[in-house]
Formats: sequence, structure tokens, C-alpha cells
Amino acid sequence: MEISRPWRVARDFLAVFVTGIFMFPMFWWALTSVKPMYAIFDKDKIVWFDFTPTIVNYAVTILGLSRSQLAIEQGFGMGVTGDGGYDSRQTILDSAIVSVGSTALTMAVAVFAAYALSRMAFKGRLSYLNWVLGQRFMPPIAILIPLVTIYKAAGLRDTDNVYMGYVGLSLIYALMNLPIALLLMKSFFDDIPKDVDEAAMIDGATRWQTFRKIVLPMAKGGVAASAVLCFIFAWTEFLLSLFLTTEIRTVPVKIQTFVTSTGSEWGFISALGTAAIVPSFIFILLVQRHLVRGLTLGSLKE
Amino acid sequence: MASVTLKNIVKKYGDVEVVHGVDLTIDDGKFVVLLGPSGCGKSTLLRMIAGLESVTGGDVEIAGSRVNDVHPKDRNIAMVFQNYALYAHMTVKDNMSFSLILARRPQSEIDEKVGWAAKILNLESYLKRFPRELSGGQRQRVAMGRAIVRDPAVFLFDEPLSNLDARLRVQMRTEIKDLHERLKTTTVYVTHDQIEAMTMADTIVILRDGIIEQVGTPLDVYDFPANLFVAEFIGSPSMNLIKGVVEGGHVVTKGGVKLPLPKKHKAKSGQKVVYGIRPEHLDVGKGFAVKILVTEPTGPEIHVYSEFGENEICAILRERRDLKRGSMLELAPRLDKAHLFDAASGKVI
Repeated sequence: MEISRPWRVARDFLAVFVTGIFMFPMFWWALTSVKPMYAIFDKDKIVWFDFTPTIVNYAVTILGLSRSQLAIEQGFGMGVTGDGGYDSRQTILDSAIVSVGSTALTMAVAVFAAYALSRMAFKGRLSYLNWVLGQRFMPPIAILIPLVTIYKAAGLRDTDNVYMGYVGLSLIYALMNLPIALLLMKSFFDDIPKDVDEAAMIDGATRWQTFRKIVLPMAKGGVAASAVLCFIFAWTEFLLSLFLTTEIRTVPVKIQTFVTSTGSEWGFISALGTAAIVPSFIFILLVQRHLVRGLTLGSLKE
Repeated sequence: MASVTLKNIVKKYGDVEVVHGVDLTIDDGKFVVLLGPSGCGKSTLLRMIAGLESVTGGDVEIAGSRVNDVHPKDRNIAMVFQNYALYAHMTVKDNMSFSLILARRPQSEIDEKVGWAAKILNLESYLKRFPRELSGGQRQRVAMGRAIVRDPAVFLFDEPLSNLDARLRVQMRTEIKDLHERLKTTTVYVTHDQIEAMTMADTIVILRDGIIEQVGTPLDVYDFPANLFVAEFIGSPSMNLIKGVVEGGHVVTKGGVKLPLPKKHKAKSGQKVVYGIRPEHLDVGKGFAVKILVTEPTGPEIHVYSEFGENEICAILRERRDLKRGSMLELAPRLDKAHLFDAASGKVI
């Protein structure tokens, strides 16, 4: 259908406008991160672009410049504490380990479980699915205190062993993500017609070969989409990470420590926040080429 | 190549029996079409031969050995699905080589076989394309290519042409038949399209509600239908079936019109029967008078729909004539081509 020019312009304008609304907080966040202190805290006017950009917020949060060094460079050395407290390099690494770990764990389980739920007939299949979903009905905070006790007893807290801490946090994220990932993957597998499985079996493939060489590659868009969701959840999760870890600091928990009794360090908060977008952005870039719809296109008659 | 034998095959889903004891022998190299309306069990039968459905009762034999419990991959069969079921993430070449790679054939043999199949099916210039980049007919050919590269003992086709447009369907019909003539592989072909069945089959098996109604060559089932169902199902426009009672050399229909009895029959006087005559076996001449309702010229012939008494009848006339709605016409059935069926059992008498 031919759309007239004014309509096309209006449509494009609307699209840009809506996108702008959603993008503005990220833009403001990034802008704040390069502002010097006086531009962030100007009580008389909103500072847009009339400031000298600085990288000191990044220098402190992700390049390891200490807070006191910064204060000395700026010319006031008295009463400044929290030396290494703002260095967030380990934090980003922690977040990355836990997010990738939990995503891998979730997908490893979800892909097989979803295939079974989609393709194999067994007793209680539907109730199983409902039961799995039911796991998400309860808010995490409701089980937080028993969970902390269980983790302590099981030795999954980072205060006993930092590696077990990674395992513990990845495990709980995987458990949180599993129902959604399972449901998503099941619907992606359901979209692949069973005839394709049958054709592969007649072609001489075993069940495993059918799964590995036919069904899974055809569902790789679904795998990518589910993995992105799991990763984002783990990357942004706050509550469980706060309660279950002490040594390990994921990004959301770390940022929260920048709100101190002597004031909120908005420059550092925005700098780490902006920097924290980058790894998840890279992850999404890596998988997004698989995020094309209609991967089964051409398998069937239309 | 192999024969396929079905011995008293029964299929139940839960308590519902959908195939009720089918016996069928398909000789080596034959092209057999399973024909019937939807829900008659023809696809279920095919899937049982393929091993995609379990067999509730009876035996499936391929090349003389029982295969009820043999996995599909070990049955040495190839199947073409109604919706093609191509591997969307693989190129045409990979689609066709998949089975050979699984069988660990040497690369040279794979290339040779795929090349041969591509040549036969006119797919040579599409080998590097993905299924999504092909037209319906080409996809259909890839599905066939995937089947023939394997040199299977039996080909199974599950309504492979039902998703193609009319012109392509006719073309593919010819191609499949030609392929069978060349390869001489035993083929079981499922369809609900009687034209496909008539044109392609060596033997037609007509199914209804899970039982075989008739087995025969295409012309056999057309010329000598065993019962009312087959008589009505095969042929288009379908056979005229007129209810009546046998009375002294005639069949007396509702409204009192007398139709002469066919040459061969075993009907008794007073028996309730159905009189069957194909539209093309009615000639204009001394017989019974009908009132014309609708005429449909098709070019080579004219289909004349008309009524007499309380019955409707269709005749196919080859000579051109002026036929007006409401005018009268006298039709004479060819008595050597007419059929009598028992009204109660539906069987030919």
C-alpha cells in the first residue's frame, strides 16, 4: 500500500519521538557521568551542555583511581575516606561471571527440558508445565530468609568460599530464570513442525541427532532470545545478590553502596551505570544476529 | 526395492479404533495409491508403514520381514511429507545429503548421488540455496530429492501435491510418475484427490472409515465399483445413483419412471436397489424423459443436469445441441455400463 508523504513524515516523527522518550534516561545518565561535580549539583539551573566534560567519574569507578587521590588532585585532602571503595573493576567482573554462568546453566537445562516437554509424551506433561510456572508465583523476597539459611548450611555463601559464592549466586539466578526460559524454549520448539523431526528420523537420525542437528539449529533464534532475557535478569538483579553475597558485589549492589551517609555520589553512580550497559550490550550484539524471526521459514509449505 | 505387506492392521488411539483390520499386499516395484476422504485412515496406514505410528494389532512387513518394532531409521524407507518438512537451516545440497552423511557414506559418493538427484529433479542450479529462497514446486522437488538419494526400499508419499497450485500439481504428478517409471521403487502414495489416484496408480486402494472398500487398477475401480461408496467417490461428475425397486425387467423409481435393468445383474424381483449410471453413459435417444435444469458447457462436452420424477440426473453429451432450461430431453442408459447396488448393503449385485 502506498502511504502518502505527510503520513510517512508523521509516522517517522512519532517513531523518533517515542524512541526519544525511552532513550532519554539513558542519555541523561551518560551525560551525568561525564559532568563535573558542579554541573551535577547546580541548584539554580539544569545544566545541559555548558560544562567541561571530565572522565574522573570513570577514572574512579572503572580505572582504579582512588577517591583520596582524586581529592588531592582537586586540592582538598582533608577528611576524605573510602579509598578503594569506588573501584568497580572487580564488580563488573563479578557481574559478568554470575550472569554468564547463570545464563549458561539456565539454557543448558531449559533446552533439554523444553525439548522433552515439546516432543515427548509422558504422564503429567501439562501439570508439569504449570508446576514449573508456579515456581515464579512467589516473590523472591518471601523465601529470602530461609534461602540465606539454606545457603549458609550448604556452604554456598561467598563468606566461606568465594568460588562457591559465584556458584551459589549463579544457581539461584538459574532457578529464577528457568521457568521463563523453559516456557519460551518450549514455544519455540513447538513452532517447529514435528514432521521435520519425523523426516530426520526417516533419514536415519537418532533422537539425539535429530535434536542436535535439526531441531536445535532451527530453534537457535529462540535460544538466543531466551539467553538474552536470562542474562539481563541476572545482570540487573539486586535483592538476591544483596542478601546472599558479601565479598562478591554485582553492579546493582555496588551502585547502591555509592549512596553513603555523607551524600550520594551521583557522578560515580552514573559512570558505573553507564559502564555497566557496555557488557550487556556486547552480549546482546553477539547473539542478536540469531535473533531473526522466521528461522523455520522455508521448511514448510506456505 | 521390496514388497510391503499389511496383515490385519488395527490402530487405536486410546479406546477409539481408527483402522479396523486392513490386509494389503503391495508387490515389489508397484505404485500403490491409498485413496479416501479425510479421516479414512490412509495417512495413519502410511505412517504405520513408516514406523511413525505404533501398530496396535497385526503385522507390517517390508521385504518379507516383520518391522512392527523397527525404528523408522532402520526400515530403509523414504518419505515425502505433505508440508515437505525441509530442514530450513540447511542448503538444498545439505538437505539432500543429510541421510547419506548420517549413514557415513564417503564424500565422493554423496556428491555423486546428490548430483544425480539434482539432475533428475532439475535442481542443479539451486543446490546452494536455502529452502526459504525456493518456490513451492522447487521445495517439493527438494523433498523428493531427499528421498531418492537414499535408494530406499520403499517410497512413501503423504499427499505431497496438495499444497501446490493446480498447474504445478499436474506437472509434478507427471514428474513423480516419470520418476517411478525410471527408478521402479515400490511406492505408497496417499491422496484424497481421485484424479491423482487415477492418473498415477498401478493399484488404487480405496479406504473409508478405516476399512478397505475396494482394491483394483484405476480403470477397474472406475468401471466396476464394488459398492455405492466407491461408485460415488470415483469419477467427476460422480455416478448417478437412483433409488428404486426391481419389477419385471425394470427398476421403478420414485415418481414411477421405469429404467431398464443392466445387462448383467443378480437382482431379484421386488428387491430395493440403487441404479447406477455414469453421466457419460447416457445418450440422447429412446429411453426416459427428463426436464433440463442446468447445462454446463466445458468445451469438449456439455454437462446436462436435469430431473425426472423426483430424481436428479447428470448426463455428459459430446455433440453440440441447443438445450434450454425447462425443455424436455429423452435419455437412454447404456445397459452394458449400468450398475445395480443393493440398497441395504450398498454392494454391487
